[in-house]
Amino acid sequence: MKDKHDKTIAITVRRVNKDFKLFYDKANTLKEKLLFWNRSKNDILHILKDINLDIYKGETVALIGVNGSGKSTLLKLMTKIIYPNSGYLKTYGKLTSLLELGAGFHPDFSGRENIYFNASIFGLTKGDIDKRIDKIIEFSELEEFIDNPVRTYSSGMYLRLAFSVAINVDADILLIDEILAVGDQHFQEKCYKRLEELKKDGKTIVIVTHALDVVKSFCNRAIWISEGVVKMDGDPKKVVGAYLNDCR
Amino acid sequence: MVQLFKNLYDYRELLKTNVKKEIRGKYKGAWLGVFWSLLNPILLLVVYSIIFPYILRIQIPNYTMYLCVALLPWTCFTSTIQQGTYAVVVNGNIIKKVYFPREILPISVVTSGVVNFLITSLVMFGFLIFGGLGLTPYALLFPIILLLQFIIMIGITFILSAVTVYVRDLEHLVGLGLMVLFYGTPIVYTMDSIPAKLAWILNLNPMTHIITAYRDILYYQQMPNWINLGILALVGVALFIVGYYIFKRLERNFAEEF
Repeated sequence: MKDKHDKTIAITVRRVNKDFKLFYDKANTLKEKLLFWNRSKNDILHILKDINLDIYKGETVALIGVNGSGKSTLLKLMTKIIYPNSGYLKTYGKLTSLLELGAGFHPDFSGRENIYFNASIFGLTKGDIDKRIDKIIEFSELEEFIDNPVRTYSSGMYLRLAFSVAINVDADILLIDEILAVGDQHFQEKCYKRLEELKKDGKTIVIVTHALDVVKSFCNRAIWISEGVVKMDGDPKKVVGAYLNDCR
Repeated sequence: MVQLFKNLYDYRELLKTNVKKEIRGKYKGAWLGVFWSLLNPILLLVVYSIIFPYILRIQIPNYTMYLCVALLPWTCFTSTIQQGTYAVVVNGNIIKKVYFPREILPISVVTSGVVNFLITSLVMFGFLIFGGLGLTPYALLFPIILLLQFIIMIGITFILSAVTVYVRDLEHLVGLGLMVLFYGTPIVYTMDSIPAKLAWILNLNPMTHIITAYRDILYYQQMPNWINLGILALVGVALFIVGYYIFKRLERNFAEEF
């Protein structure tokens, strides 16, 4: 018998601490450093404190919390864009992240070329991309504009292209940071439908969002992060309820 | 180290698109496009082969050819190192947003530099054939020397591109260093014209041996000094490994520096 906690782990976070240095008017040149040597003391901001988490394969997890609570930082640590100051963090399986719109898009290149470029950043080969390109273009609904340079795209079109690539990479773990809000109602629904499919396929999804309705309807686990610690972890309805109570 | 080759294999498409972008993007919008990578060294060659024999009176037979086989590999070296120094910094935006093996960045700059050099070396071989020197079987050693140069350039670029993220002054220092190194390498003069007391300094410069080897096989048409090249290969591999570990160590905080 397999119950929920018997599943394989997708992401482990152990005793993770992350500090950011706060620079007040960063003294960067030698002249400034010599003149203002006494000012260069920088404060350290403990953005994450001793985080321990296990995210299991097939879970759909929402990270919620107020601005500056450290949830985006946690997501960035999971993608290996930044590294913890202490503790360790391991992910198992192919990972795709969608942290900011069109990271790695080259404005002068066409949508089609950018699909190749963006997908190759996620570690796909040309053959992989050739197989998926029609699906990606179809999902983005950008058929008419796909050969135009990306700089001529609106932010909605940008999002559609970026999201279509990321969602068709076939990663085991998908990390998404508060970006879906840009798309229109139609595209948002389509994205959640696709995410629902990925969920059924047993993919692990972690999203950072302030759309609490989505958390309740779409996710099966919510983690509330407050001032760098996990304040509550569990059933989305309960966690969202407690979070809302706290905000009031 | 195994991780490096696994990453390179997994992300080969990224490496390929990056190299393509590097080569095509460099001359984007210029009428003559990629031809500039041919024209640049040729024009430099014309200027130098007027200045040194006629104005500075350097007496070397067939000076243009003597210069050509050294100047073109040197141009490859300087432009690669110069661009390689920025390799990480110019991609700060992507580094902040997506994960991919960061070592792809310096490696693709060096690779595109070498591809560029292969194009210019066609011109070099053309010069050799039609300039009266001709080609001998020794020219077949060309890829071996180029490979050595490639390994050395990657090692240097690993270090420079990673350190530049934290010490931006390095960009300017590298330009200066390369200019000094140009005169510290027997490109426009012969090794013999250097006082024996100073020759050891030149011998510490890895590019001295690379340039000498190119000249041996293409200009003097003789076997290169294999002992020197063997030592150079060891130094090159060591530089590559040390450079890789320095890069890996420094890459952890890249995203926080942009």
